[in-house]
Amino acid sequence: LDPKTLPRPLDGDVEPNLLAEGYSPNCDPRYLRLTTRAIPNSQSLASRWHLPLGAVVCPLAEAPDGEEVPVLNFVSGIIRCRRCRTYVNPFVTFTDAGRKWRCNICSLLNDVPGEYFCQLDATGRRMDLDQRPELTQGSVEFVAPTEYMVRPPMPPLYFFLIDVSISAARSGMLEVVAQTIKSCLDDLPGFPRTQIGFITFDSTIHFYNMKSSLTQPQMMVVSDLDDVFVPLPDDLLVNLADSRSVVDVFLDTLPSMFQDNVNVESAFGPALKAAFSVMNQLGGKMLIFQNTMPSLGVGRLKLRGDDVRVYGTDKEHALRLPEDPFYKQMAADLTKYQIGVNLYAFSDKYTDIASLGALAKYTGGQVYQYPGFQSVNHGEKLRHELARDLTRETAWEAVMRIRCGKGIRFSSYHGNFMLRSTDLLALPAVDCDKAYAMQTLFLGYKGIYYLKISSTVKRYTASCGERRIRVHTAAAPVVSDLGEMYRQADTGAIVSLFSRLAIEKTLSHKLEDGRNSVQLRIVKAFREYRNLYSVQHRLGNRMIYPESLKFLPLYGLALCKSTPLRGGFADVQLDERCAAGFTIMALPVKKLLKLLYPSLMRVDDYLLKPSAQADEFSSTLRRLPLTMDSLDSRGLYLYDDGFRFILWFGGMLSPDIAMNLLGPDAAAELSKVTLGKHDTEMSRKLMGLIKKLRASDPSYYQPCNLVRQGEQPREGYLLLTNLVEDQTGGTNG
Amino acid sequence: MSEMANTDPEGLDGVRMTWNLWPRTKVEASKCVIPLAVSISPIRHHPDIPVLPYPPLRCKTCTICLNCYARVDFTAKIWICPFCYQRNHFPPHYSMISETNLPAELYPQYTTVEHALPATPSAASAAAGGDPHVSPPPVFVFVLDTCMIEEEFALVKSAVKRAIGMLPEKALVGFVSFGTQAQVHELGFSDMSKVYVFRGSKEVSKDQIMEQLGLGRTAMGRGHPHPAAAAAAGYPQQQMQNGFKSSGVTRFLLPASQCEFTLDLILDELQTDQWPVPPGSRASRCTGVALSVAAGLLGGCLPGTGARIIALVGGPCTEGPGTIVSKDLSDPVRSHKDLDKDAAPYFKKAVKFYDNLAKQLVSQGHVLDLFASALDQVGVAEMKVAVERTGGLVVLSESFGHSVFKDSFKRVFEKGEQALGLCFNGTLEINCSKDIKIQGIIGPCTSMEKKGPNVADTVVGEGNTMAWKMCGLDRSTCLTVFFDLSSSERSNAPATVNPQLYLQFMTSYQNPEGQTLLRVTTVTRRWVDSSVSSEELVQGFDQETAAVVMARLTSLKMEAEEGFDATRWLDRNLIRLCSKFGDYRKDDPSSFTLNPQFSLFPQFMFNLRRSQFVQVFNNSPDETAYFRMLLNRENITNAAVMIQPSLISYSFNSLPQPALLDVASIAADRILLLDSYFSVVVFHGMTIAQWRNMGYQNQPEHQAFAQLLQAPQDDAQAIIRDRFPVPRLVVCDQHGSQARFLLAKLNPSATYNNTSELAAGSDVIFTDDVSLQVFFDHLQKLAVQS
Ligand SMILES: [Zn+2]
Ligand SMILES: [Zn+2]
Repeated sequence: LDPKTLPRPLDGDVEPNLLAEGYSPNCDPRYLRLTTRAIPNSQSLASRWHLPLGAVVCPLAEAPDGEEVPVLNFVSGIIRCRRCRTYVNPFVTFTDAGRKWRCNICSLLNDVPGEYFCQLDATGRRMDLDQRPELTQGSVEFVAPTEYMVRPPMPPLYFFLIDVSISAARSGMLEVVAQTIKSCLDDLPGFPRTQIGFITFDSTIHFYNMKSSLTQPQMMVVSDLDDVFVPLPDDLLVNLADSRSVVDVFLDTLPSMFQDNVNVESAFGPALKAAFSVMNQLGGKMLIFQNTMPSLGVGRLKLRGDDVRVYGTDKEHALRLPEDPFYKQMAADLTKYQIGVNLYAFSDKYTDIASLGALAKYTGGQVYQYPGFQSVNHGEKLRHELARDLTRETAWEAVMRIRCGKGIRFSSYHGNFMLRSTDLLALPAVDCDKAYAMQTLFLGYKGIYYLKISSTVKRYTASCGERRIRVHTAAAPVVSDLGEMYRQADTGAIVSLFSRLAIEKTLSHKLEDGRNSVQLRIVKAFREYRNLYSVQHRLGNRMIYPESLKFLPLYGLALCKSTPLRGGFADVQLDERCAAGFTIMALPVKKLLKLLYPSLMRVDDYLLKPSAQADEFSSTLRRLPLTMDSLDSRGLYLYDDGFRFILWFGGMLSPDIAMNLLGPDAAAELSKVTLGKHDTEMSRKLMGLIKKLRASDPSYYQPCNLVRQGEQPREGYLLLTNLVEDQTGGTNG
Repeated sequence: MSEMANTDPEGLDGVRMTWNLWPRTKVEASKCVIPLAVSISPIRHHPDIPVLPYPPLRCKTCTICLNCYARVDFTAKIWICPFCYQRNHFPPHYSMISETNLPAELYPQYTTVEHALPATPSAASAAAGGDPHVSPPPVFVFVLDTCMIEEEFALVKSAVKRAIGMLPEKALVGFVSFGTQAQVHELGFSDMSKVYVFRGSKEVSKDQIMEQLGLGRTAMGRGHPHPAAAAAAGYPQQQMQNGFKSSGVTRFLLPASQCEFTLDLILDELQTDQWPVPPGSRASRCTGVALSVAAGLLGGCLPGTGARIIALVGGPCTEGPGTIVSKDLSDPVRSHKDLDKDAAPYFKKAVKFYDNLAKQLVSQGHVLDLFASALDQVGVAEMKVAVERTGGLVVLSESFGHSVFKDSFKRVFEKGEQALGLCFNGTLEINCSKDIKIQGIIGPCTSMEKKGPNVADTVVGEGNTMAWKMCGLDRSTCLTVFFDLSSSERSNAPATVNPQLYLQFMTSYQNPEGQTLLRVTTVTRRWVDSSVSSEELVQGFDQETAAVVMARLTSLKMEAEEGFDATRWLDRNLIRLCSKFGDYRKDDPSSFTLNPQFSLFPQFMFNLRRSQFVQVFNNSPDETAYFRMLLNRENITNAAVMIQPSLISYSFNSLPQPALLDVASIAADRILLLDSYFSVVVFHGMTIAQWRNMGYQNQPEHQAFAQLLQAPQDDAQAIIRDRFPVPRLVVCDQHGSQARFLLAKLNPSATYNNTSELAAGSDVIFTDDVSLQVFFDHLQKLAVQS
């Protein structure tokens, strides 16, 4: 199979067009996407589909201005089905002159409460429909009455657990972290209730008393690692507004306080337990900044070694699993107490991200990795990503449940969370950048032949302190035609589920098995489809596929070449592979597709053109196939995978352009050059372009790497290995 | 009371003995009833003691120092040791001596001399060059309780602040605060206030403390720290700062001048313990861990250097090692009754803990001072062992606002005239003539278990040794040494021949200026053969000293011997003494008389029986421990006042004069001044009080009255000024509620049982105690019984 013959997703992710399909009450696909919008009506039909049957949910996805989810306050109670607890939604029907409503999930006829009653019009629709978003829109948010609360809503809480060992101090990480946190203090969600706290650690654990009446924080060192305890009953967690000046002093002092630290140890495990003890009354978000491999106390990790001999054996997967049960157990405890963890890892050496990442994975968090962090190189990326982490709208103490109509239910969930019961996902802190995938289990219908409804329910505390319930509802027809299933397929959702399934597979199997499983299912699906049509089209040996799945083979290929799955021992550092795995497990569809098949654009022509409108680049710049053939040595190319940019200078690129963009650095080795503003039209245009691209994809920061054609091995690992269509792309051999 | 009150009975030597003439044999000595004991104030100040800028010559056999009792052969340049008769050659630098050119130590009047010595090797190595005679500056680690009400806390904080301001600039200061947990403040950390926190409920070893403070062996000062090891342990290497190799010194112990500002800030922001105390509970207070941590800190930073831990405690330890009572408020702190009935479940364990702490502190050479201020007990009884063995100071008061605490605490840090003269690192060695055995010492010291020929088999107090460690000592420190005589038949000719016995006390110590001094006191007494007649012995009896020694011995026995009946024991001994030394016809009580050398002794015993030292049930175990610690460390005169207070009467008709310690001394037109050591009472007779209330003293024509009112006040102030701990001053009127402070100390010659005999204006004591007269009558009857 030659990838170059396959259609290329040069327009990126294409969301299904709901309006065109006539299901307008469905929620926007940014919140929920089904792998196919045609639900099979029988088990046998489902089994011939071969591709994953399920959904990808991004419950808090950012909505453009004007499309925000409406917030509804039912003072006298939310209308729900008596039997299955489904919330009233656009798919319920009103009967009996408006006095009854039928549940679209379980078909029960419910009474309409007096205060919700409204007459029906001639077509059987409620007269007040235009004032009832919950009956017209797929996504609504209810303000939860008190009976929905286990406890009063907790204030948003940010707790920082910061490694201050020698490597952390020397990398400049402390300075960036301290400055960034300080710069975000005014924007932390939840003012004036926001709580904040800090622990730093090396071979000992340092708590900080931030009591508002103090002029400066007090550092409290606990060195008893076998028996960690909390040195103060209060004031380790403080109200940010009250203790703001103390927090400011702390953040100003933090970098200098440890600049001469020569401690090479890390009591990470005990420090984590300490942070847990401080937070567990309230729950909240724990941000961990980790540099030195945990070396002391509980949770101590070993250099497991990324041993080449293990690859290809049945022990290979163990490298990608937490070694010490401590981390999974901690994660369970953290989730139980509504604490979500985001891990920022900075080491230039192996620090067993497989183990540490479990903390983020099971608490609904995220792993950020900056291998070999140096503030000069990675400072900007960290600054941006930390700032986003701190300021993005976050839902606290959330749980998520998916309900669907009879005959079908969700059987497995894939992403970063802890499953609290068979269908309840615990998400201590969730935000717009997290997506969750799930597969359905087909149970078989009993004579149901009309719409199949699925609805997503989330319950959470908004940062403002209000308890809310967000409901996304979508419907899809039940079909008996396999072809229709293929035609209604959503490649993005399928690839998203595939990625998660394949990564999970590598946790119990070899990398190769993970890749094979993806390929096999695609092949099976296409063979099935081909069988469906080969007779009538007399196709011979030619491959055929439905329009909806035309990019699937290439995405499948790209997935196999992605960081978590690609190659073997030598192709990716183990920590980087694990970190990428954790990242992809939480990635929304659009972001994932861009990572798998990044955009590559020639920009020199655009830069040379006389200046026109600001937005003109979108029409001028075209995405190119990810192959060497796309690169002209006379050109300047920008590669963008959503996590970083690579600016490739062709060997025969006009020196004038390089001079314009880089100034006197144009002749230097590009690995040492950072792209900056120069006072030329071309430079301004390029910077403007980069700024625009970054703005359009704000969940991560894209640092811009520069590389010149032929600069080896840099060119190789930065760009060439990522040209997924090429034979060499993605592996070392 | 004593006719010696206004003289200096201790003289140059600071020595007083129960017997100034010694019986020859062990059998005779035991017949004397009162043990052979010497009370010595080893570094008492006396203007006539010469300080010699050179080390003493020592006998090559018995190592005593050359002294004025040595026989000198000026031509042969030889001196003969009065203790062992060894002939010693003078070294070359003594070649100039002659009968007219004597070194000071040979002057007959200089029985006590002081030698200035180079600093001890361990201390010298710690000091960064400089004067070898000067040891490193003293170290003060304040250990502050934070479990108290805000008002008390503010008072104690300001006291600490004031103290730090008074310290010598170079003195090193450390700070530990504690409540539920113990916190060591890293004063040298400049970025923010920083503490190391220790769990209060868990006993931590010295090694663990040092490791947790980052003072592990690799990082610390002894020898040469290995740079790589120190770096691996993760602490910056800052060697040789402040003259110390240990990095701990720059981190935790800073010169007062450098850290005064930091400490002020810390104290300003320091809060009372923040952990919630449930209703009906005591605060969780980990005094034991806090003191362990302070000791570990000093042990890690500066072992062998003069240092004191100054503990300011506001309540009982309820958490971790050293706990004396449960947190449940309905559970009272142990009483003497509980201790007697073995119903104090925490007591023994806590004492054991402090016993170990004492051992650690003594081995490090560090002092524990205890300032306890609380309405209830705080555990002085349990902590006593650590305070006493290290030679620490102790002050017990009701509140940190009370003058007993405030003024005493200030005195500790005062310089000049008022200074206590706190010294460090003392070692006392005692040498004595053959046939004299040392049983041990009662007082603030620890046996160094240094064996020698003069060590007795029977032990009293700190024994089994010829040398004692005094981590802390001062001008008023006093020790009681108990002697016995060899039971072996004497065959050694010289001892038989020599009519004199010799004792030599050698005390080396570091003075407040950091100088190392060796004081040598050599005393001699005459042997008397008492087997024929006790006439001579009687002349050498010092009844005041004997009374104090008996008080100390009684206290020791009460603590050490289970079921010890102190009153009976004292009575029996007194009767035996009177039987032996009294003049009487057998079975005729009316014929009984006592030699004046003994005449005051029965009254001392009468008052001792009634005193807080014997009648402990009137006090808490903490108070008893406090009283006994001071009884043991004060000089004879002061200790005698504790047993038998002095009473002075002021009236129009006469000069102030001593009054009988009897209720009969109370009169309406008199003012009485009672000094019972722990309190000083100014007691106005009824009439005097009325006149004063009417303000007569403010009228010009009644100047004499004003003077009469003022005189006892001035005298009371004079007593208070010189005393440490500062006594409680009670000013009261006859029939006032405070009058009990006086009445409790008076002989109940008039009680409600015999009010008919009362003189007008006199007073009555409501007690069933026997009066002195009744006591005497019994004594005479029993003493003459055959
Ligand atoms: Zn229903
Ligand atoms: Zn000798």
